[in-house]
Amino acid sequence: MLSNLWRSSISGLVVVSLFGMLAPSLIAQTVGKGVLTGRVTDPSGGAVANASVAATSIDSGQKQTATTGPEGTYKLELPEGNYRLTFEAAGFKTLEISSATVSGTAPEILDGKLERGEAVNGNPALTQQENLPNAPSSSTTAPSLSDLGLSPEQTRGNPQEQALLDKRTHMLKIHQRMGLITTIPLVATVILGPGAGGKSEGTATRDLHVALGSLTGDLYGITAYYAIRAPRIPGTKKRGPIKFHEAMAWIHGPGMILTPILGAMAFSQKNNGEKVHGIAQAHGPVAIVTAGAFGAALLSVSVKF
Amino acid sequence: MNKRILIVLSFVALTAFAEANTQWILQQSTLTYHVSHPLHQSEGVSHGAKGKGVCHAGQCEFLIAVPVKSFDSGDSNRDLHMIQVTRGAEFPLVTVRTRLPESDAAASTINADLEIQFAGQTAHYKQVPFKVEKQGGETHISGTIPATLTDFKIDPPSLLTIPVKNDIPVRVDMTWRPQ
Repeated sequence: MLSNLWRSSISGLVVVSLFGMLAPSLIAQTVGKGVLTGRVTDPSGGAVANASVAATSIDSGQKQTATTGPEGTYKLELPEGNYRLTFEAAGFKTLEISSATVSGTAPEILDGKLERGEAVNGNPALTQQENLPNAPSSSTTAPSLSDLGLSPEQTRGNPQEQALLDKRTHMLKIHQRMGLITTIPLVATVILGPGAGGKSEGTATRDLHVALGSLTGDLYGITAYYAIRAPRIPGTKKRGPIKFHEAMAWIHGPGMILTPILGAMAFSQKNNGEKVHGIAQAHGPVAIVTAGAFGAALLSVSVKF
Repeated sequence: MNKRILIVLSFVALTAFAEANTQWILQQSTLTYHVSHPLHQSEGVSHGAKGKGVCHAGQCEFLIAVPVKSFDSGDSNRDLHMIQVTRGAEFPLVTVRTRLPESDAAASTINADLEIQFAGQTAHYKQVPFKVEKQGGETHISGTIPATLTDFKIDPPSLLTIPVKNDIPVRVDMTWRPQ
């Protein structure tokens, strides 16, 4: 009996250790690097060589620079995030791009068209404007934001709140991915359940069931951590499917704690040659309810009903 | 003599009247963005736009501003994510500027060149068609702005690792009243 328990514990530990080694890389992939590239040109479209391109992270303030080659091209490898870009070259006005997003999915292409003149900090948006036939003019009759009765609070940006939102999204993205990954061993554990606790006297299925269950529990813990630790945004009233998603957590959360406890009891009884009895009999039903609540939580925010 | 002065004064008054600014105020508005995902079709609606038009010498300049946070999709989680990806806390307003001939107010359709500032970026849309309907003293304008995420350098949000489509058409329904 002890040898069986030992063997299953070892296989469980091996799987968990493997996951432990893989998990950081799985998470690291979600905060990978991206490429920012483009071409710097003069007003005629000609390449500007030796122009300096600086990318400053809006989130961390870290700065990276690159210099354009003979073709006017540049390339920056940056951690995923949002950057403020500055293009500078002798004899040209400084061009600023207030926000560019670098993601790991595809290279971000951002060309810079420089205007001739002294290097001054200009409005990036205005430097990119086209002359349209009936485009807005800057005449004195044009209404302004203050004409609309908007308060300064409504028009002023809040970088702190943006940083909070960025952190929240980052954590919830990991939560979402980890939740999806958790589904795989969870389903496998449930499928193996009847074999593990059934009439079969073999222990291989039971060991695998225990190992997969342990893996599910660990993955679930990480998934839950990223949801619980994601910052709350003050003044937000919860509406829609997220309420159901969170309500389901009150079922699958305790279920994920109770299931392995009951499972350990059932495992012990089974290995003693006993029929699973007492409260341990609830292991299967509790696991089914837990898995069902987990699936419902996942579907509630994935599919529109 | 008096008659001549009267004529001159009348001419000056008429000229002044013709040159005077007339204004339009946005009475009501419904702006709806549409996002497509293989598993979801979602819309966010805002009634929070404010707008003003000032006409001078036959040309009207319009400015419409909508708080990004005023869009409601019925799902607070999605709305917060929308605000995050569009950098709505940093750039809290969507502003639309356009210039139209004053005579367009009488037309049944107008084609407007729009300058839209959103998510810290500026995009231009040429000749966007809008339907114009007169109802009493009010003018109702409706149409769809063919916006895309790439226009504003917005990284497409994803659900279950599948990104949403690039197109985010914005349906516009506005009621304007001259002042």
